[in-house]
Amino acid sequence: MTPGDDEARLRAAMAEAHREDAERTPRFEVTWAAAQRSRQRRSIRRWAVAGAGLAAAAAGVWLVTRPKPSPTPLILGTRWVGPTDFLLETPDLMTLRTLPPVDPDADPWTTRPPAPKGTP
Amino acid sequence: MASVELEQQIAALHPASFAWALACTGWNAAEAEEVLQSVYLSILEGRARFDGRSAFKTWLFAVVRNMAARTLRRRWLEARPPWRMFSGSEADHADPVVAEERGAQVRRALGTLPARQREVLDLVFFHEMTVEQAAEVMDVSTGTARTHYHRGKLRLLELLGKEDLP
Repeated sequence: MTPGDDEARLRAAMAEAHREDAERTPRFEVTWAAAQRSRQRRSIRRWAVAGAGLAAAAAGVWLVTRPKPSPTPLILGTRWVGPTDFLLETPDLMTLRTLPPVDPDADPWTTRPPAPKGTP
Repeated sequence: MASVELEQQIAALHPASFAWALACTGWNAAEAEEVLQSVYLSILEGRARFDGRSAFKTWLFAVVRNMAARTLRRRWLEARPPWRMFSGSEADHADPVVAEERGAQVRRALGTLPARQREVLDLVFFHEMTVEQAAEVMDVSTGTARTHYHRGKLRLLELLGKEDLP
C-alpha cells in the first residue's frame, strides 16, 4: 500500500465521519441572528450593571460627604435628673473626688534651704 | 474589514466551521451550534478580531477551536463536583454517537486518538489544509503539528485496519 493510498483512505474515512454534517448544520442566518440577540442582551445587561455601579458609587460619595447634623444645644433647665440620682450623692463627695493638699514645708525631702542671716 | 464583508465571509465558511466545531466537540451537534454562536458573538463584540496575519479560514477555525476548548472545559467542570475533581478516571465525555454505521465507527476510532492528532487529521484530510495551516489553527509549531500528523495517521490507519474500514 502506497502513502498515496493511505492518504486517500484517510480522506475517505474523514468524509465518512463528516457525511451527516450537512444535514445537521443550522442555517447561518439562524445562528448569526441568535448571536446578535445575545449581543443586544449582553449590552443591556452591561449598561444595567454599569448604571447600578454608578448609582452605588454616587450613594457612597453622598454618604461620605453629606453635611453632618450639628449637635442639638442643651437648653437650660431641660437637663433630665433621674428619680434615684440622689442615692449616688454621698455626704462627702468632695473629699472622695479630690486629693488632699500636701504641705511642702512638712515634707522632709523637699525642705527649703535656711534663709540667710539678716533677712527679715 | 467592513462588517458586511465580514458577515459574507463568515456565512460562506459557515458549513465548514460547523463541521470543524463538530469535530472539536466530539460530534455533539448542540454543543457545536453553541460554540459557533459564541464565536459569532465574540466576533460581533470585537473580542475576536481578524488582523490579516493569516488566511481568514485559518483564523476563524482557530477561534472555533479555542471556543470549543473553553466550552468543553466549562462542561467538564460543571459535570464534576469539586470533591470528585481529582479522583477516578472517567471518560472525558460520553460519545454522543450511538448509531453504529460506518461514519460512526470512524468517529469512534477518531475519538480514541489524542485531541491534537484528531484535530490535525481533521484539518488536513477533511478541511484540505496544509500541516502549516493546521499548526496555525492549533497554535502549535509546524514541527509539533507534523509529529501529531504522522502519529495520528499511523494510529488511525491501524484502527481503520482493525475495523476493516472503509
